[in-house]
Amino acid sequence: MNTIGLHAVGLLGPGLDDFETARAILAGTAPLTGDAINIPPVRLLPANERRRTTTTIRLALKVAEEATTDSDRSQLRSVFASSSGDMDIIDRICDALTQPEPVVSPVQFHNSVHNAPAGNWSIATRNPAPATAVSGYNATVAAGLLEAATLQQCEGGEVLLTCYDVPSMETFIRVRPIHHAFAVALRLGPVEGATWRLQMDLKGPATADRCGADELEALRESNPAARALPLLEQLARGTAGHVTLDAPLGRSLSIRIEP
Amino acid sequence: MDPLVITAHTLTSAAGTGIAANAEALRSGTSGLRACDLERVNLDTYVGRVPGVEAIALEGALAPFQCRNNQLAELGLRQDGFVAAVAAAVERHGADRVAVLLGTSTSGIAATEAAYHRRDPQTGALPPDYDYQHTQNMFSLADFVATRLGLSGPAMVVSTACSSSAKVFADARRYIAAGLCDAAVVGGVDSLCGMTLYGFNALQLVAAQPCTPLDRDRTGISIGEAAGFFLLERPSANAQGARLTGYGESSDAHHMSAPHPEGLGAATALQQALDRAGRQGDEIDYVLMHATATPANDRSEARALIHRLGPTPRAVGSKGLTGHTLGAAGAVGVAQALASLAGGFVPATAGLRHPDPELGLDARAETEDRPVRRVLVNAFGFGGNNCSLLLEAPQ
Repeated sequence: MNTIGLHAVGLLGPGLDDFETARAILAGTAPLTGDAINIPPVRLLPANERRRTTTTIRLALKVAEEATTDSDRSQLRSVFASSSGDMDIIDRICDALTQPEPVVSPVQFHNSVHNAPAGNWSIATRNPAPATAVSGYNATVAAGLLEAATLQQCEGGEVLLTCYDVPSMETFIRVRPIHHAFAVALRLGPVEGATWRLQMDLKGPATADRCGADELEALRESNPAARALPLLEQLARGTAGHVTLDAPLGRSLSIRIEP
Repeated sequence: MDPLVITAHTLTSAAGTGIAANAEALRSGTSGLRACDLERVNLDTYVGRVPGVEAIALEGALAPFQCRNNQLAELGLRQDGFVAAVAAAVERHGADRVAVLLGTSTSGIAATEAAYHRRDPQTGALPPDYDYQHTQNMFSLADFVATRLGLSGPAMVVSTACSSSAKVFADARRYIAAGLCDAAVVGGVDSLCGMTLYGFNALQLVAAQPCTPLDRDRTGISIGEAAGFFLLERPSANAQGARLTGYGESSDAHHMSAPHPEGLGAATALQQALDRAGRQGDEIDYVLMHATATPANDRSEARALIHRLGPTPRAVGSKGLTGHTLGAAGAVGVAQALASLAGGFVPATAGLRHPDPELGLDARAETEDRPVRRVLVNAFGFGGNNCSLLLEAPQ
């Protein structure tokens, strides 16, 4: 694929409040301490819409907002990538359906769609550009990167990629052990003026890179969106390098990074 | 844009199993809707339920994927020589050069609904035989189809509610243009489940009688299920047939579950599809509308059509045949457009009794036999997610 530009990054995870303040942790010069995570309300949404958002929507839109600060959001294409979508809602609706007379909340139902963050983002930014929502199970980050890079190469302009997964609720924790929320956003675009240049290739089976620090590696393993961490570590180091991520169907995504 | 050729396809819906049965239902306006008879669903509505789904057994390496959505996918894949056509494409291009890009809105959630009914009464634990990854997870559909067809190209599931299986056609065009693959299996599968039936019911969008798109007296949707698959390749001596010549995608940026009242996002998608194909509105034989049969949806879409195509455009709604198949709706629309191109007819709008004069469309209750060259297919979803595709007859 063509080389594309990476213009900005958004990040939220346990002990990782945003990309700039997490840089030292990602670069390996400061430890990851604590697992507190604060998912703020979506400032860009009007108050009545803000009340109807879910943790999943707030998580995704926090990093989307961070990666698009000081940029034109009004025409930005977007890709929202999540392995599981809104598992909190799935849990509540499936639970409601076990009742003799099931009652499903209309707001929960319309927020249950995989593209709920994408829809809320387009409303929040008054942005008529196309938005999509994809999944690749544990290789969702690579699937999202391929989708976003392909959009940038074929349609031009900037593309916002947002990868996120919320923790599993109690009923699901055994079959899908995701213990912490994690989200990352990458604003991709033309090479000109970009902070980093990425050269991606979809390759055959290869072992995915792991994180340098044990705490980050545990996080990487625990949440599909955190599979992006080796890429973020390389970005934070500020040097040229190479990262391999798992891609769907047992393949791998090779990413060469140049500042 | 450089067109892609649809070298093979198949459709299974309540209107028929395989493309011949669906084409016949489309031509004759024969509905597959029936009173809702789903287990554990007690709603006064009609559904487009595909016969024989429950009897499909997934075996061997496919056994973990057993759930209604993948059973329906399997039933669909068995029709119309689709598996053999994909095998031939693998011979031409290699298994790792054929992408798997599929749409669904709820994947295998029926398996999760069933598992919740069997939770341990003491601990609340899900039953040990429940397999989240291969059933309910969104990617399950693409994983199943890739495994079934022996494909290892780029793969993902697009889940943008009811535009999902239209958007994958645009993705296929981009993936091939970017050099990620040489061919793509696209389409979508969505299957009946309690969540969508009770969810749409909670939004008061479900009709008590079979849905009647574009009708003056329409009251809401009938929910259906379907599996549609298409093999897309660049035109060549080996790859001839009907073509995808344009696509358009947009967001309403208006509301999560209500369309823009003037159909602004829909109009943008439609115009983009025409522009990419280098076509004018008067070159289109008709629009196969999304036409879900809710009062607001059909009104919004009609305004979009008139805005871009001029007064009283020829328009068809097909959900009276199949029900609204949600994430599979785009695939159903494309397969119906292909049947119309191949069969030389503009389909009736099934269920239409009194065309709504307020819509300002040329919608008819009778099928018209005449050559058809170009059909626009619309698919719109929650989140204001819009997609239009332009399908053209073989050159």
